[in-house]
Amino acid sequence: MMENIKEILNLDSLKIGYQSGKSKKVLLPPITSSAGRGELIAVIGRNGVGKSTLLRTLTGLQLPLGGNIFYYGKKISGYSKMELAQKVGFISTEVVKVSNMKVYDLVALGRFPHTNWIGKIESDDRSKINDALAKTSMQTFSMKFVSRLSDGERQKVMIARLLAQDASIMIMDEPTAFIDITGKYEILQLMHTLTHTSDKTIIFSTHDLQMAINQSDKVWLILENELIEGAPEDLMIAGAFDHLFDSSVVDFNSEDGTFSFRNNTKGSIYIEGKGHKRHWTEKAISRAGFHVSKEKTNPYIIIPSGNNNFWKLSVGSYTYECTSLYELIKCLDRMPQSI
Amino acid sequence: MKKIIQNELTEEIKSGRNVRLIFFGLALMVVLFLILDIFLGSVNIRPTDVLRAVFNHSNSNLETIIIKFRFPKAITALTVGVALSLSGLQMQTVFRNPMAGPYVLGISSGASLGVAFVIMGFSANISPDNISGLGNWILVAASWVGAGAVMLLIMIISSRVKDVITVLILGIMLSSGISAIVMIMQYFSSESMLKSYILWTMGSLGNLTSGQLNVLLISVATGVILSLFSSKMLNALLLGENYAGSIGLNVKFARTIIFVCTSILAGSVTAFCGPIGFIGIAVPHIVRILFRTSDHRILIPGTILTGGAVMLISDIISQLPGSKSVLPVNAVTSLIGIPVVIWIILGNRKYSGTF
Repeated sequence: MMENIKEILNLDSLKIGYQSGKSKKVLLPPITSSAGRGELIAVIGRNGVGKSTLLRTLTGLQLPLGGNIFYYGKKISGYSKMELAQKVGFISTEVVKVSNMKVYDLVALGRFPHTNWIGKIESDDRSKINDALAKTSMQTFSMKFVSRLSDGERQKVMIARLLAQDASIMIMDEPTAFIDITGKYEILQLMHTLTHTSDKTIIFSTHDLQMAINQSDKVWLILENELIEGAPEDLMIAGAFDHLFDSSVVDFNSEDGTFSFRNNTKGSIYIEGKGHKRHWTEKAISRAGFHVSKEKTNPYIIIPSGNNNFWKLSVGSYTYECTSLYELIKCLDRMPQSI
Repeated sequence: MKKIIQNELTEEIKSGRNVRLIFFGLALMVVLFLILDIFLGSVNIRPTDVLRAVFNHSNSNLETIIIKFRFPKAITALTVGVALSLSGLQMQTVFRNPMAGPYVLGISSGASLGVAFVIMGFSANISPDNISGLGNWILVAASWVGAGAVMLLIMIISSRVKDVITVLILGIMLSSGISAIVMIMQYFSSESMLKSYILWTMGSLGNLTSGQLNVLLISVATGVILSLFSSKMLNALLLGENYAGSIGLNVKFARTIIFVCTSILAGSVTAFCGPIGFIGIAVPHIVRILFRTSDHRILIPGTILTGGAVMLISDIISQLPGSKSVLPVNAVTSLIGIPVVIWIILGNRKYSGTF
């Protein structure tokens, strides 16, 4: 029963897709699922499989083609647009391009469903806006123009706008696309904090599987004809992610959630040594196209223990020394005979 | 932290003060230009005579010029400026296109087509020069329908084509097409119908009867009230349809209100004064530069004042104070507006896709 109380979103055999005239195009089989308070849910799937359509349908921007969406136990069609906006907010990769718009004004637009007919900002709205700017650490930007921000900063402002909207469910369509590495992790960190300390529920789509696996509480994996849900680890155990990839090209390691290309064509090689250095040596040689062998081969690699930064490559009675993995791989590639 | 908030507060107060100062300056300019527009004209009248005409009702000849001609003309100029600028501002926001305006996108042409249908399709007696009463409303309604039809077409086009310049070119194509239809109508219409239509297309602020001025004032007042009501919706539309919908805006409703409002504003002006160009596209940009904001709660009153002031200046210039001749007002507004439009196009790299 406890779980039921915490559930704020329920999908009951929801059908999503497009409708033009009388013809309907349903994208997925009916979805039945739920989301709880404070959960970070990652939506994963190939391009065109229906991620955006699902998220837009949940936001109320698109009508479901069948089934029901319940927020707090009430049907989505039972909410007026303003009421729904007080519960559910939305951001996407769409860039807001407006000159002369200050960050503060953009965040203030989040108060839209709460203000009067002309949009007057009262003191309560003001404190909500300042709070949103503080939570996203964008206070110093408030008087800057939106058009002057970097992609990452702009997305943080959009999240601040979402916070000012005071919606407990935040739907984000690829919130970290087109954003540089630093910005990406700042936004991810922010999403994590919001779910864990502010009790927000975030449903976001991403193409970054690693990020989804490491951070989210639940994954909705959308495949061609089904939606699989569960904790990322559950899906790992079930091998669900394997369906995403063409297994003849990409090798998905379900032990640590990493991928590699299947190009172990150049033969096997044995590595003597252990620890941190061994881990990266294995990575390097498998990238170069070698398989890590469990039995001794000729040639083989020796990683000397200690802090010495060199590798030994033993070929028959000769031993080459390399000072970097880059050099080691060059050495291996230069070997004439197949190993 | 406290210091940052303190700084922001003072900055906010400062910008608030600036806004009030600019509003005050604009209002002052409107009053000043309104007075100048009455005092200056192609007939030289000494200021003391103007005052005497207004207050003493003495000199009958001068009184006719001031009360019957110059005063209504100045009020018409003010109203036309407000209406065209407001419709331009709303169109730029709703289409998210800095190049939008009633003239360049062919809305005024659509209104002309409506008027052409009434004048050349039915009777030369229903022309702006000699109609009264209900006829005025028929003419203005035809103009609204024409403006609305083109507005609808542009809405459909711009929902498919996102590139601003492409939409602009299609708008120009539309107005050329409409001109072609009007030309065909001219070819088949009678001489008297043709004459009253040609007179109308020349465009003038000074030919309105008091009945027509009333119709114009009522229509534009309706448009102004609607646009004040729509300022919150316009602010949301700045974010684009998806975000606007996600913060609770009924996008269809908002578009309908703005559609009706723009058609009324641009249509009414065109019905009585002919197509007047480049005010609608240029004024909103001048206002954005003045206030440095995107908030329509400031932009709308700012546009009302600036539009009125710019149109009054145009009217003053067109009268060529001190000389006997009068320029067509359309030429003056084009010469004022076109540099602004060129500046927007050339600055498009900086603004690419923004407004």
